[in-house]
Amino acid sequence: MSWFTPTSPSSTLANPKPSEDGGFIAPDRTARSQCWEGRDSFFVCLEKNGIVDSVKEDAKAREHCAPELKEFEKVCASSWVTYFKKRRVMEHQRDLTIKKLAAEGATPMEGSSAGGAGAAALRGK
Amino acid sequence: MRRTPDSTNTRLIPASVSIECHKQPNLTNIEEARSRSKSGPFSWQAGLLFLAAGGGLTFYFRYEKARMSRARIAEANKGIGKPLVGGPFTLTDHNNKPFTNDNLKGKYSLVYFGFSHCPDICPEELDKMAGMIEAVKEKHGEGVLRNVFITCDPARDTPQVLKSYLAEFHPEVLGLTGTWQQVKDVCKAYRVYFSTPADVKPGQDYLVDHSIYFYLMDPDGDFVEAIGRNFTVPAAAKVINDHIADWKGKIDRS
Repeated sequence: MSWFTPTSPSSTLANPKPSEDGGFIAPDRTARSQCWEGRDSFFVCLEKNGIVDSVKEDAKAREHCAPELKEFEKVCASSWVTYFKKRRVMEHQRDLTIKKLAAEGATPMEGSSAGGAGAAALRGK
Repeated sequence: MRRTPDSTNTRLIPASVSIECHKQPNLTNIEEARSRSKSGPFSWQAGLLFLAAGGGLTFYFRYEKARMSRARIAEANKGIGKPLVGGPFTLTDHNNKPFTNDNLKGKYSLVYFGFSHCPDICPEELDKMAGMIEAVKEKHGEGVLRNVFITCDPARDTPQVLKSYLAEFHPEVLGLTGTWQQVKDVCKAYRVYFSTPADVKPGQDYLVDHSIYFYLMDPDGDFVEAIGRNFTVPAAAKVINDHIADWKGKIDRS
């Protein structure tokens, strides 16, 4: 390790350190929020360039948002990078569907009824 | 019949009436009778009593209805046969001590399945769990609720990893892990979707798919309810607090 290389928390995310009992140390709160910030700045750039699916349009994303993508991949584990990209697409499609349903006049379902909503769902009702 | 003396065109008056007429003056009798017939059986006092009784009954009905529906839920999972959710399991806690389903008994338990390398959902749900723990403590005091985090990623989540991971959320959450087979068995018992392959190589980077619910177990170790992601912290805390308040047995507060 050369003297000027800082020990960055990003290393715990992209390359998790093994623990003493055979596991792998998970990213802590700081590392997680660093990753989320990297993701958010990358997504802002995608928004500006009108890209939703940065997995399918990977080349276009790399062309327009190269520095943000590089930072994002540095501060987040690769499985998280893929996950966040896919989640962005899923959320976008979900929002479109909700808008479409609202335009058709659907009423939103009450989601937070306490007392058995979860149990009923588990029973398959 | 008594004949009144003196006059030839006297009417025959029944004895009871003539005695009554001599007892009370006629005027008050008639006035009283008239005012009573005008308002009927209602007075403002009767009206007020009616409203108070109606209001009291309404509140009582609503309270009882809510309590009955909670009792139905709590009882639905008891009885003979295999429980819908829950069952025997053997794991190791993050202090390297063995932990089985028997260790869940005595208090209410809140069980969450997740893994420490989770990008966003588990941290969010664990922060919610911390909020729920504090809300329950506020209402019912210490020692009523046990809080458990069971990993779906036993290859990376060893006791030491879980201990440091969970310390950031709440000191009272106990992490549980085990062998791949032990984790698979507890996920099966709790009907938690479990997708981790058995032969993960050390250092591999992957995510684990799992169902996202908090499972509330009662002091007998029986399943009560599942609380999903759609519940806010106050709503989830209310569900738990109401069940704790309904519990008629003892809760081991040690």
